[in-house]
Amino acid sequence: MRTATYQESYIQLTQLLPFRDGWVWYGLLMAALFTLPLVLPTYIATYATLVFIAAVGAIGLNLVTGTTGLISLGHAGFLAIGAYTTAILTSKYNVELLTCLIASGLMAAVLSALVGVPSLRLKGLYLAVTTLAFSIIVTNIILQAEGLTGGSGGISVKRTSILGIPVDTPAAVYYLCLGTLVLTTLGALNLQRSRVGRAWSSIRDYDIAAILMGINLMYYKLLAFAVSAFLTGVAGGLLAIHVRYLNVDAFGVLTSVEALAMIIVGGLASVRGAILGALLITVLPDLSRLVFSFAGGALADLSAAHAQELRAIIYALLIMGFLRFEPEGLAAQWSRTKRYWSEWPLTKRSS
Amino acid sequence: MEYFSALVITGIAVGALYGLLAMGFAMIYKVSKVVNFAQGEVMMLIAYIAYTVATETGGSAFAVVAAVIVSAIIIGYLLERLVIRPMLGQPVFSIVMLTIALAVLIRAVVGIGWGVDPHRFPVDLDSGGLQILGVRLVASQVLLLGVYASMCIAVWSFLRFSVIGIAMRATAADSTTAMMMGISPSQIYRLAWIMSALMAGTAGVLLAMINNIGIEMSDIGIRSFPAAVMGGLDSVIGAGFAGILIGVIENLAGGYIGSGYKEIAGFAVLLVVLMLRPYGLFGEKDIERV
Repeated sequence: MRTATYQESYIQLTQLLPFRDGWVWYGLLMAALFTLPLVLPTYIATYATLVFIAAVGAIGLNLVTGTTGLISLGHAGFLAIGAYTTAILTSKYNVELLTCLIASGLMAAVLSALVGVPSLRLKGLYLAVTTLAFSIIVTNIILQAEGLTGGSGGISVKRTSILGIPVDTPAAVYYLCLGTLVLTTLGALNLQRSRVGRAWSSIRDYDIAAILMGINLMYYKLLAFAVSAFLTGVAGGLLAIHVRYLNVDAFGVLTSVEALAMIIVGGLASVRGAILGALLITVLPDLSRLVFSFAGGALADLSAAHAQELRAIIYALLIMGFLRFEPEGLAAQWSRTKRYWSEWPLTKRSS
Repeated sequence: MEYFSALVITGIAVGALYGLLAMGFAMIYKVSKVVNFAQGEVMMLIAYIAYTVATETGGSAFAVVAAVIVSAIIIGYLLERLVIRPMLGQPVFSIVMLTIALAVLIRAVVGIGWGVDPHRFPVDLDSGGLQILGVRLVASQVLLLGVYASMCIAVWSFLRFSVIGIAMRATAADSTTAMMMGISPSQIYRLAWIMSALMAGTAGVLLAMINNIGIEMSDIGIRSFPAAVMGGLDSVIGAGFAGILIGVIENLAGGYIGSGYKEIAGFAVLLVVLMLRPYGLFGEKDIERV
């Protein structure tokens, strides 16, 4: 009698969804997401769009920080590069959106060499500071180049069409972001399970050992930054299409911290974790505001007067709490819950 | 030429501030290999406490000094004990993120507690300031330069000659061996955090006296980062010196290239320095054993 699930061939090991149940459940999830804007009010679809965009960016950041272990405090810079590329291309040159998104990603990927090259020599904290410097330089240059970016006045984005289909309603933007997220998820999962992903993890675990195993450190570190920046740039482009008006203040250091909070809360090096983290971090501030306003009294006044500060406090406490008590994040929680129920009456408490 | 010397001298005055903060960064990093991203926020918090004390006592300079010292000791102690100690031994990434979260938290708490509008710091220095090479410095800037110089000398001689300073360097070099020599690393860590908070607090009050006190002053923490890294994170005096360098470079870039480039000049220089010398100008090269 079989006592557990055994994987007997390489193909079985690398299957994304080894069981028929998985296909059913993910199919149901996709169907639910697909019908969501048709049945629920527009503001929920708008909210979900924001979560999708955050998830694309978080998956990108997770590839470089979670999988490869290179700390980046500068992803707000890549987000800004992507967003402004799309904004400039649509508003000044009326370019079709698919081209814009790809251009956004490529622009960010090319500029990522600016932090990728120093990362070959820097480790840990020095790299974190370099990426921070990069994002501050990017936002300041955007502020200075008024002719192109509108400077401190901001820039508006034109919603052109994609493959001949006009993107003019919130529902259209929703489907665009959903499609991008699905592609990103599949792409990231495939990268992580392939030769490239294994090289990245080995660099994270011990770079000197990785060199001795014949991994080209320069190539894989630059590739990690480029892929990660590409995805974040695409997220920036989607953000530009979604909000329709860009201001450089939205790409501050706090945005990078927010993105890191997503992958810490979700779980480093896990695609599912990045998506769960993006969902939690995007929804939580508004959810807590709702709770505070129901609580009434002094709490409601506080949340009305200091919405920004409360938001910051919630991030900070979440990051601190997860780092201290659940460093593996929501992804670990997920697999623990799954194991509990799959072995249900016979579950051992210790694991 | 006059324009140049004016830029350099005011740059030195700003750089002294960066230097004080950068020395605080380096102090903590040297002994415990932790970078405190919340340094600017600690500075702001202590400055706000001093501000409240000053308004309550009607601007007494003595009360402000006492407030800075007492609050720096308490804040440094609490941060080390409650936030950092439980995380020791965790990967660098976790501790970096923790101090960033701390920075966000302190900033939000100050925003709720004191409001976001800037205030005038209620302590006035009566004396008229100083004239150097045709450049006027106000009294508080002269005081800042004096404090900076004496702090540099004090820290240098502390680390070089005093028993505790030598214990600190021993812990930095090898904490296990230091422990066998009867040094308690946890006491040394605590002391480093308190000293660093003290430097930050002093810088904060002086900054509040030169400009106003406001929530934006914590940005100086990030702006002084290039100084700390450029000096080499484990060289306290190097960080202090690099602060002056960054201050002058920022001012020259602002004066000759354009005022918008003032804020990024320090970071641009940092990128170049790190590409050439990944361990900073005065830092020790890290040799890895496999």
